[in-house]
Amino acid sequence: MSDRQRVLALQMKNVTKQFPGTVAVDQVDFDVFAGEVHALVGENGAGKSTLMKMLAGSYDDYEGEIFIGENKVDLHYPAIAKANGIQMIYQELSMAMPISIAENVLVGKLPVTKLGLLDKKKTVEDTKKALERVGLGQLDSFMAIEEISQHEAQLVEIAKALWNEPCILVMDEPTSALSREEVELLFEIIDRLRNEGLAIVYISHHLPEVFRIADRVTVLRDGKKIATKNVAEVSRQEVVQMMVGKSVAEFYRHESHATDKECLRVENLTRIGFFHEVSFSAYEGEVLGIGGLSGAGRSELGRALVGLDEVDYGSVFLRGKRLKIRNMSSAMARGIAYLTENRKTEGLALRLTLQENVLVSLVPWHTRGGVYKQSLGVPKLHELIQELSIIPPDPERTMNNLSGGNQQKVLLAKWMAIEPRVLILDEPTRGVDIGAKSIIHQSIERLAKAGHTIILISSDLPELVALSSRILIMRQGRIIKEMQKEQSSEELVLLAANGEGV
Amino acid sequence: MEQTKLAAVDSRLLSHSIVNRVFVTIGVYLIAIVLVVLGIVLQLAGAINNFLTAQNMLNIIDAVSMLGIVAVGMAFVTYSGHYADLSVPTTMAMTGIVAVEMLKFGFVVAVLSALAVGFVVGLINAIAVGKFRANPIIWTLAVNYMSLGVIRLVWVNKQIYPDMTASTVRASEMFDAIFRLRFFDKIALPVVMMIILVIVLQFVMRRTKFGVQLKMTGAARTPARFSGINVELMIAIAFIICALTATVGGLAVTSLNKVGAWYNGEGYEFKAVTAVVIGGVTLAGGRGSIIGVLGGVLVIGILNNILTLLGVGTFSQDMIRGAIFIIVVFVNARSLRKMGRDYE
Amino acid sequence: MNNQKRTRIGREKTLVFIDRNRIFLLFGVVFLFMAIFGPRFMTAYNLTTIMRTTAMNATAAIGFTMILIIAQLDLSIGTIITFAGVVGLGLKEYIGYGGSVPIAILAGCGIGLINGLLVTKAKISSFIVTLGMLTILQGAIYTITGGNSISLSSPDAFAVSDWLSTMMIPLITPRVIITLVLVAAFTVFLRFTRIGRNFYMVGGNRQTAWLAGINTDLYTIMTFVISGFTAAVGGVLFAMEGAAATLNLGDTSLMYVISAVIIGGTAMSGGKGGVLKSFFAILTLDVLYNGIILFGLGNEVKIFIAGIILAAVVLYEAYTRYKHDKIVGQRSELMKEVDQLKEKLRASRRKIAG
Repeated sequence: MSDRQRVLALQMKNVTKQFPGTVAVDQVDFDVFAGEVHALVGENGAGKSTLMKMLAGSYDDYEGEIFIGENKVDLHYPAIAKANGIQMIYQELSMAMPISIAENVLVGKLPVTKLGLLDKKKTVEDTKKALERVGLGQLDSFMAIEEISQHEAQLVEIAKALWNEPCILVMDEPTSALSREEVELLFEIIDRLRNEGLAIVYISHHLPEVFRIADRVTVLRDGKKIATKNVAEVSRQEVVQMMVGKSVAEFYRHESHATDKECLRVENLTRIGFFHEVSFSAYEGEVLGIGGLSGAGRSELGRALVGLDEVDYGSVFLRGKRLKIRNMSSAMARGIAYLTENRKTEGLALRLTLQENVLVSLVPWHTRGGVYKQSLGVPKLHELIQELSIIPPDPERTMNNLSGGNQQKVLLAKWMAIEPRVLILDEPTRGVDIGAKSIIHQSIERLAKAGHTIILISSDLPELVALSSRILIMRQGRIIKEMQKEQSSEELVLLAANGEGV
Repeated sequence: MEQTKLAAVDSRLLSHSIVNRVFVTIGVYLIAIVLVVLGIVLQLAGAINNFLTAQNMLNIIDAVSMLGIVAVGMAFVTYSGHYADLSVPTTMAMTGIVAVEMLKFGFVVAVLSALAVGFVVGLINAIAVGKFRANPIIWTLAVNYMSLGVIRLVWVNKQIYPDMTASTVRASEMFDAIFRLRFFDKIALPVVMMIILVIVLQFVMRRTKFGVQLKMTGAARTPARFSGINVELMIAIAFIICALTATVGGLAVTSLNKVGAWYNGEGYEFKAVTAVVIGGVTLAGGRGSIIGVLGGVLVIGILNNILTLLGVGTFSQDMIRGAIFIIVVFVNARSLRKMGRDYE
Repeated sequence: MNNQKRTRIGREKTLVFIDRNRIFLLFGVVFLFMAIFGPRFMTAYNLTTIMRTTAMNATAAIGFTMILIIAQLDLSIGTIITFAGVVGLGLKEYIGYGGSVPIAILAGCGIGLINGLLVTKAKISSFIVTLGMLTILQGAIYTITGGNSISLSSPDAFAVSDWLSTMMIPLITPRVIITLVLVAAFTVFLRFTRIGRNFYMVGGNRQTAWLAGINTDLYTIMTFVISGFTAAVGGVLFAMEGAAATLNLGDTSLMYVISAVIIGGTAMSGGKGGVLKSFFAILTLDVLYNGIILFGLGNEVKIFIAGIILAAVVLYEAYTRYKHDKIVGQRSELMKEVDQLKEKLRASRRKIAG
């Protein structure tokens, strides 16, 4: 075992990647041996995806050196990465759904006979060979991707990558959509590949899996490498501690303004396949945090509470009265609002102005007899621009000219404008600079103090712990734990999200 | 990357929506004025005659009035992000025929039946495109053919004449008057209708709850939905407005031709979309104004007039219009992309 | 674990077979129906008429199928058909068929080339480009012909026309042969060559195709050129056989071809379908429409039904997409609990009711 591991397949020395305003990867060393599974962990924004994109050849302007085997390479284009034996497997399938397995796996390289026509026999042979490596040898090569299950499709994706004879395989969150059994199957395959001498980079949030499959683990935080350890020599708690550490900006814990007046009560809310039997209460003045790994069903829950998605059964009570929420506008009328995690694709109309984006939520209120009086909303708009320090404070500026942080503030302003009783925030500071982040946090606290109920869905642990008076942890569609403010810490939240200590 | 964009001076100017909007609208009218100047120049150079006469100017306005009526309704469909309603020609023809047929019950019944039929067509489009998200182009094309089939089915190849079906002479006269009535002996009824529609629909687009929500729907459908807007309803209303203006236009054209026939309205869909696009309502949706569309209609009218006076055949004019359409779309796409927003 | 390793078995296999080949089965059903119940359906004259009508739209459908496979639209095929017919006949006086026909076909290719370039280089969406092209061509056609259809009366024109309409084999005229040859050639090309399969990938997942080294822009342009080519061939051949080119030659073609190609199994979303299927779809529709006339229902009914079929097809596609979007993102583990949950749901409903 150790002989095989001595050969370094990949070595990244002192690599750095900067973007305007941030250093995404800061002088990181990372290496992988042939025949090793090396896991890369870290919270969102730690730099994992940037590091991975570097390997994929997406950037032509990184600093530092990368070696494949003995050779130094400049991974400036995806083609170069591929030529050097690096294959990436992303979360989203890179295959075409209506097209057969065979054609997806062998794309561009379909075998032909001497006459130039497709060699069906060889195609089936080759595809079978490729599929066998992932345990799918029995599948009919001519089935379309849309006919097989999500899990099988992912395996086909791996088969496709393997067909290119890589020496380094990078897998990004491969298990997020899989059931427990399917994860086991995947691990069997990874084990096999490891024994065949492949170097595998395994990027994940799910610590139990990391500990199950990886040989070494590297923890990134804020772009820097914290440590690389042998998995056998470190405990989960230690890893979590490294991931969380002491944040760059210490957010002091906001005090809780929770009252004991129940505002929202949810009973057995279920949307089949997305979240099951969710029950909780939220109080006036409270910031109720909802933590969990991505895919746990938190956003779906949020959307369901405002009527954007259907609910199969369960009930919602607002101040004791049972609610029937059929769509978003009736939710808004009752005073429940949802701030989406995708500000660019679901939150803002980037081609419209700041004013239009903020006031759109108020349109039903400012309409008299069908006529919309925009002027009615202007004072509120200016108030919000000021409160949130939106820069530039120009109502006529189109949204795509604002920075990410300011865009997010506009999104928040839109929902603050209707003064909802219950405000559900989904990743309110994702991709936002430190200054904007703290302004948003202050606003959240101010809202809570004024008696509103805030439900905070966040993967940003410091934020979640600092702001919440209580934290619910969701995992795989269910609420598995509730923590009071005093008992919560980033480590505990992350552990619980991973299913530990529950 | 973002900072450099913000620093660029001209992008700052372009980022001001008011400036941008006014600029575009004025731009259209400027083009119209340029064309008028061109006409004057050509007249002075002896290339054309009778351009700058009151009669000619009136001719232009008359000629575009029906297009104008149809275009301002079409603009709502484009504004909603659904490109165009290609069922307009048969809607125009069909409602015209229905009206003529119903003249036997009097003028009022005739007009109301026409509007009812137009409403139904609009509703059908609304459901297929708004609720089920069918491709608007292909769907409205299909509806166009279906309506053609209905017309041919019910009336075969017959062309029906208002003076023959009308129950009373009075009714027939009133129908004729749709096109021929002139205020102060100069301004035709369709022109008045167009102007009224422009004013009313501009108001609807700019100042009503519907208009504002429609704008958001066209600019960004999913964010609109996530802001509590009932996007399906917005799109439905847009298609119904388009069908209703097509009905009004259809009545005018039918009155003009004094016959209810399947070809009334032929070609109007392309002309209308061109006018809409020239007028600043981009195909991407959520941008533009009805006043701009009026400008677009005028541009087309003046251009056609000059070309006709120059002796260019109608069909060549069609060609030129097609080319202009592509050019305008191209320029639009370019500038939208420069502003940082991807245009489909 | 065994349920993971599977291939299509038994019943599933039949269902998939039916779904994949539904157009051939549909054709069989419609043909049989007409053969049994249609008055004068099985006469040589009638069947030849069907084949002849089919030939024009079938060639255009070849190109259009490829356009849909790469997930684009070409609304200009109808006018290209007319344009090619007009040019082919119009220029005959000056340079004979030997000159005018190649020019007409080249013109079709050229128009396709312009369409393709505008879509790939200027990045304007294909529907807009082809819509504009359609208008331009309509104008061009009218300008060239001065508004009159072209009809030839020279002896050699009739000779060609006769030759094209003589049946070499029962029911098959030379024009039909040319069409069948093209259909066969493109079917083989798309199904059995590597380049042919690449078109599917371009439509299925453009990004993936690009990353695999396929020059997606080139393939897109090629497709538009082919579309122009096949439309031109169809138009020219039809005009030559009748020795006449009317101005509305290709007017109904767009609708026929769109409905047929989609019914045949080529979806607007791209990545699937085939030329043979489109051919049989056109054949099916033509048999259907022919039958309608035979039953004495008249042209009007035919147009109406054609419109309804297209509308139904478009709605069906939209509806399938609508249903699919609803279930995206379901967690498989939670799905396993569905039965338990449904039981609970039923129990709670009983409680409320009782």
